[in-house]
Amino acid sequence: MKQYIIRRSSYSLLSLFLLSLTIFFFVRVTGDPATLLVEPGASAADIAAIHQRFGLDKPLWTQYGLFVWSLFQGDLGQSFYYQTPVFELYLDRLPNSLLLAFVAMSLSLLIGIPAGIMASVQVGRFWDGFGKLFTLLGQSLPSFLVGLVLILVFSVYLGWLPSSGAGTPLHLIMPAFALGWYFAASHMRLTRSSMLEVLGSEYIKLARLKGLPQSMIIAKHAFKNALIPVLTLAGINVVVMVNVAVVVETVFAWPGIGRLLYEGITFRDFPIVQGVVIMGGGMIVIVNLVIDILYAIIDPRIRLES
Amino acid sequence: MSSFVYHAERPLLSDERSGLTRRGLLGATALGLVAGAPAMARAAGPQGQLTWGIHVSLAPSWFDPAETQGIITPYMVLYALHDAMVKSMPGNPQAPCLAESWSTSSDHLTHEFVLRPGVKFHDGEPVTADDVKFSFERYHGVSHELIKQQVAAIEVPDPRRVRFKLKQPWPDFLTFYSSATGAGWVVPKKYIERVGEEGYRKAPIGAGPYKFVSFTPGVELVLEAFEGYWRKVPNVKRLVMKVVPDEGTRAAALKRGEIDIAYSIRGELAEDLQRTAGISLKPVVLQAPNWLYFPEQWDPKSPWHDLRVRQAANLAIDREGMSKALFLGHCKVTNSIIPYTFEYFWQPSTAGYDPGSARKRMAEAGFAKGFDAGLLYCDASYANMAEVSVNNLAEIGIRARLQPIERAGFFAGYSSKKYTRGIIQGASGAFGNAATRLAAFVVKGGSFAYGSYPDIDELYPKQADELDRGKRGAMLEKMQQLVHDKAIYAPIWQLGFINAVGPRVGESGFDLITGFAYTAPFEDITIKA
Repeated sequence: MKQYIIRRSSYSLLSLFLLSLTIFFFVRVTGDPATLLVEPGASAADIAAIHQRFGLDKPLWTQYGLFVWSLFQGDLGQSFYYQTPVFELYLDRLPNSLLLAFVAMSLSLLIGIPAGIMASVQVGRFWDGFGKLFTLLGQSLPSFLVGLVLILVFSVYLGWLPSSGAGTPLHLIMPAFALGWYFAASHMRLTRSSMLEVLGSEYIKLARLKGLPQSMIIAKHAFKNALIPVLTLAGINVVVMVNVAVVVETVFAWPGIGRLLYEGITFRDFPIVQGVVIMGGGMIVIVNLVIDILYAIIDPRIRLES
Repeated sequence: MSSFVYHAERPLLSDERSGLTRRGLLGATALGLVAGAPAMARAAGPQGQLTWGIHVSLAPSWFDPAETQGIITPYMVLYALHDAMVKSMPGNPQAPCLAESWSTSSDHLTHEFVLRPGVKFHDGEPVTADDVKFSFERYHGVSHELIKQQVAAIEVPDPRRVRFKLKQPWPDFLTFYSSATGAGWVVPKKYIERVGEEGYRKAPIGAGPYKFVSFTPGVELVLEAFEGYWRKVPNVKRLVMKVVPDEGTRAAALKRGEIDIAYSIRGELAEDLQRTAGISLKPVVLQAPNWLYFPEQWDPKSPWHDLRVRQAANLAIDREGMSKALFLGHCKVTNSIIPYTFEYFWQPSTAGYDPGSARKRMAEAGFAKGFDAGLLYCDASYANMAEVSVNNLAEIGIRARLQPIERAGFFAGYSSKKYTRGIIQGASGAFGNAATRLAAFVVKGGSFAYGSYPDIDELYPKQADELDRGKRGAMLEKMQQLVHDKAIYAPIWQLGFINAVGPRVGESGFDLITGFAYTAPFEDITIKA
């Protein structure tokens, strides 16, 4: 077990190292941030001064070394644009993203799970077709379009909800729906397939033979088992929601991490982009590591096989 | 011994600043509410709140004039929080602000400024000559090396007087001190020394009409009226600058009344707002001209070497039509690459749109059937303009293919002189005057000049050494005339930046300062009664 944990942890560290290397060099391929901090036509001396100020005049490997060294010290660097430590910015935005992710995930589970169950017990009938259409729309409609249509209907025409910003529960409704719908679609699909698998198993057939009512079979026997993969996916999706709700947070001017990443990309603020990606990647790596270890504890075959 | 002296108008007395003189107060009392209402509203001090929908994320570096980069955006905050010795104001691009007067010695080596009496920072401390000196020395923004290299010493003979001694005569000192850099914006020395740089960034204090209240990165900036502001007491008590990056969301928020002023609304959204009752568009012509540039004109084998071809291209561009289609007709066609607001600007003849004459010139040049012009390089965010140009040029036989490049990549390629063939659609919003713009884009060795002409190059050093404004202006006008006559560029326009305001706004502050994209001066902004 100890060896297994050490091996898995090493893989995680290797993943993070590769992620840091990739994001560090990829973000620099996008161009020079100095050109976005001055007007076109600025002198070479002004651009050189910005390079010097942000350490961009140093060789790339030196910059990378400094970046990794800072990471080991828990420092994500200083934002070029905000001139504030990236970690501070990240922590400022994190509660907003967690709140949005929590509400969006709740909505997506509230919609996705019942819809998936309905679709699985009525295969080929109205609810199944409706569910498929719903998931198709949820996964294929771009979130900026969903966001703008919601704003148009509920803010401009009906005047029920504020168009943007944060501060009250009303501000949460539209961004949470726009974000949650996409994930509701995947939760619905997984619930449906998982339910179908469980409903085809021997113990459900036995329950039916024993004459248990359909509602009890679904609620008491099938649903609990079908829920495990859905909740596993939901756990990972929350991490994704926290870190990459870029479009939804931008459309609704929601001050979360997704918008921070958008700002970082827009202004070529390398430390922000690197910091958000490393934090997001780190969360996913840690969640996966914990899941791997838990699986190994629950099922010894996994650690023995590996 | 001053060769040039500038005196400000008499500052307002405190009673006048509040909108009421003693006699006025008596009159208002006598006339009652009917006649006295506006005056009474002012006498009650700043009131109400206005909310902005800002199109970009506000950066803390914009709260500190020392950080000013060469872009216009930070000034949307600087005009509220801070004040400068001399700055652009309504009707005067070099208006006396914290300095009530200044003078230049006859040898052009000394510039002396006299501070306005009784001016205070937000913490109540007086603005002194030491603060002016400290602010200049602390400045490390755009062109700081250039301006500091020119200054040999800064003397403070008394608390209201500051003297800049130059190493050599520099006719552009005031241009750089007042508008092309943030070096003339004054910050409180004692406060910064007390709280440190980090502390200042978190809680900035200035001498502007509004005080800093709070800032949430990426969310909003909240400001409150500074009633001790020297020019006048601001009308609006509280300003909230909310960051709303999406244009559609800004338009929706304005329609709902969640915000009162929306920056940067384009195309169809602007048209929609124009049709909405209570909302009005406030377009502003930016000091950022766009143009087409022909980098092959110095190659004798290229069709662009022929002046008639370049003139034909100039005649082929339907600037007004393009402006109507893309910016609701709000762009200003100046036919120059120098902003019309710049010092020493020379106005060329009107840009004509005449495809018939253009074809004729093409035929005279031996290109009756046109030619393949290769690629038209442009900043991708303005590809819509370039697309129209490509079509316009095609109508007279100049066949170009559009090559949009992401902004940073485009300007990096443009300045590194990578686009030696084809056409370049360029732009510049850099500060300065006609001389600085010509240096970058026309004169030999300029950052964006792919070639040059000896007669223009010859005039450049002469004007730089000329201390007589009239003679220097004549030389700069001559240079601009040569640029026009040689059709080095096909200028398109100065961009019309469209903003919108809601029904609560009285005076929005848009376009009060010529060429300034945003609302200012903030103390002039009002809410409708």
